Amino acid sequence: MKIRAYNLIVLALVLFMAAIAPKAWADSTQTLEYQVKAAFIYNFIKFVDWPKEKVTDSNTPLTIGIIGQDPFKDAFGPLQEKEIKDRKVIIQRFEGFVELEKSGKKKKDQPHPKSQDIQKCHLLFICPSESERIADIIASVKDHSVLTVGEAKDFIESGGVINFIVEEQKVRFEINTAAAERAKLKIRSNLLRLAKRIVRENAVKKTRGRIILEVRES
Amino acid sequence: MTIKDKLIFIIMLACIAGLMLAGTTFIIWEQSSFRSNMARVLSTRAAILAENCKSSLAFQDAKDAENILRALHVDPSLMSGTIFDDKNECFAAYYRDSSAIKVIPIEFKKTIVIFNSDSLVISSPIVLDDAIIGTICLQSDLSFLHESTKRGIQIMAAVIFLSSLAVFSVSSRLQKVISGPILSLAEVAKTVSEEKDYSARAIKRSSDEVGSLIDAFNEMLEQIQHRDFELVDAKGKLEVRVEKRTAELTTANEQLTREVAERKKAEQRQAQLLEQLEKINKELNDFAYVISHDLKAPLRGIKTLTEWITTDYADKLDENGKEQMNLLERRVDRMHNLIDGVLQYSRVGRVKEDMVQINLNELIPEVIDSLAPPENISITIETKLPTIKYEQTRIMQVFQNLLSNAIKYMDKPQGQIKIGCIEENGFWKFSVADNGPGIEEKYFEKIFQMFQTLAPRDESESTGVGLTVVKKIIEMYKGSVWVESEVGNGSTFFFTLPKQKKGVKNAKLQANIVS
Repeated sequence: MKIRAYNLIVLALVLFMAAIAPKAWADSTQTLEYQVKAAFIYNFIKFVDWPKEKVTDSNTPLTIGIIGQDPFKDAFGPLQEKEIKDRKVIIQRFEGFVELEKSGKKKKDQPHPKSQDIQKCHLLFICPSESERIADIIASVKDHSVLTVGEAKDFIESGGVINFIVEEQKVRFEINTAAAERAKLKIRSNLLRLAKRIVRENAVKKTRGRIILEVRES
Repeated sequence: MTIKDKLIFIIMLACIAGLMLAGTTFIIWEQSSFRSNMARVLSTRAAILAENCKSSLAFQDAKDAENILRALHVDPSLMSGTIFDDKNECFAAYYRDSSAIKVIPIEFKKTIVIFNSDSLVISSPIVLDDAIIGTICLQSDLSFLHESTKRGIQIMAAVIFLSSLAVFSVSSRLQKVISGPILSLAEVAKTVSEEKDYSARAIKRSSDEVGSLIDAFNEMLEQIQHRDFELVDAKGKLEVRVEKRTAELTTANEQLTREVAERKKAEQRQAQLLEQLEKINKELNDFAYVISHDLKAPLRGIKTLTEWITTDYADKLDENGKEQMNLLERRVDRMHNLIDGVLQYSRVGRVKEDMVQINLNELIPEVIDSLAPPENISITIETKLPTIKYEQTRIMQVFQNLLSNAIKYMDKPQGQIKIGCIEENGFWKFSVADNGPGIEEKYFEKIFQMFQTLAPRDESESTGVGLTVVKKIIEMYKGSVWVESEVGNGSTFFFTLPKQKKGVKNAKLQANIVS
């Protein structure tokens, strides 16, 4: 009898493990992915030069904005202590366009209530939850030298500067140099070299037609 | 080794030493500059690579980093290039050969250069935004360095060999400049020493030290030539002189031989004479003895007769007769004494007695007692007297005669006679001093002769034999006797006797020295 009871317990445990394990594994890979992405975002700042008017005072911290539903959780935690280019780094989170319009806080034609804060950001990460409104968000920060980073399929075609992709279980990225130029951002060759794809396109909005000048596969 | 070879050897040695020094210095310098250059080039390369790789490292793109490292194959000396991340784990690597070479991950804050025996390791940090995100290590082969050292040594050896040949050919020609004059000088010197030809001269070719040496040599030769000539001349003169001197010597020698022969003859004659003299002397001695002895008997008869006449005819003789009888008696006495003296004299040397130890301190008082001096004369012994080994009778005779003379001739109311003895040069020197009339210097010798007496015969009845006997005894003993005197103040008789402890032979020798 005792043996049967023991076996039962073991069986129950095995079943339980089998039930929760895939989810835990999926969770942990996702967490790892965003940890890497967070580190990449930090490193992007190091390889990108902002125009002078954006970084006037040397004491002003560098601001990383996250718009939409934040997938990073606490991935920025260990990084936040570090300084980049001798500046402190601040993470600011904004509600996404989609969320605001759903909850009725903002009408579709209205600008984002915190649009000024968003424009002040040096880097803006557009979460996948805002993938439908990417063009609008990018348009709202144009002329403010904001490095837009996203992880949507046609992010750079929509005028974003850097887009994360996952290739062979490794985080890689694509760069739209024309968008960077428009935002008066200088991306260093070191970074460009590592990009999986570099897109040079003009007038995204006007033509909707994408002119791919150069595609480099490394 | 001739001077020629020595010169060539020295020149070559100097050249090779210089070349070796220069070559070694050059190789060492080249090595060190090569090394520092290599380190610099490699450091630069590492720094460039670090700059290029930092984005790869930042975005964890190992493929990109490997692509960059692959460019290292351009330099075949590079063995490996490795990039380590901030956890010191290998991020990307390049190896020249397929086999992996182990490189120690080195994480340092600055560029590090490590020279191993066969490789050079350079490590450089990869810095991104003031933070070290990794390290790059490059490892370079040093075989090129060793190769170049080897080649350098080979080239140096070749250069030294070729230069040695060149130096040999040049120096064997040029050494004649120095060795030529010296060799010709040596040649001349050889000629001079072998053929004794001092007229030879070395030829001067240059005015350097060798030139002045040749000058000095020539001058020396001239002097030698001059000396040689003088020597020959002197030799000739010397020969003449030697001949002359030899002739003189021969003459002198002949003369000497003659003289020696003559002297020998004279000596023979002298010996003959001496023999004759001895014979005569002996005969005389015997004669004197016989005469004295034989004379004594009739004399004793005369004296007895005189006594008888004086006693028997005392009343028949007048005063004059008595006086003459008395005179006769006295003359007989004197005759008797005289004969006694002569007998005594002749007995000295003829009659031998045993040598005995004589303590003079005992003997002399006996002698004085036997002489019975008058009361106005005092005889004193001033010093302690020695004990001597002689014939007792002779020594007694000496003191008897000297003391009796002093007593006999004493003219002072208080007569003083002093006997002394000192040791002098191995002799006993005795003295008998009196304060009597003294003797004039002209008689100092005469008094020791037979029958010489200074006082008139009739006054003192002296025989003139005593001092002669003394002299004979003393001289027999190899001593000497003499007198010192001042007229009126007395006289001192000295005589010496050899000390006999050292043996008779030695005493004789000393006696000879003294006399």
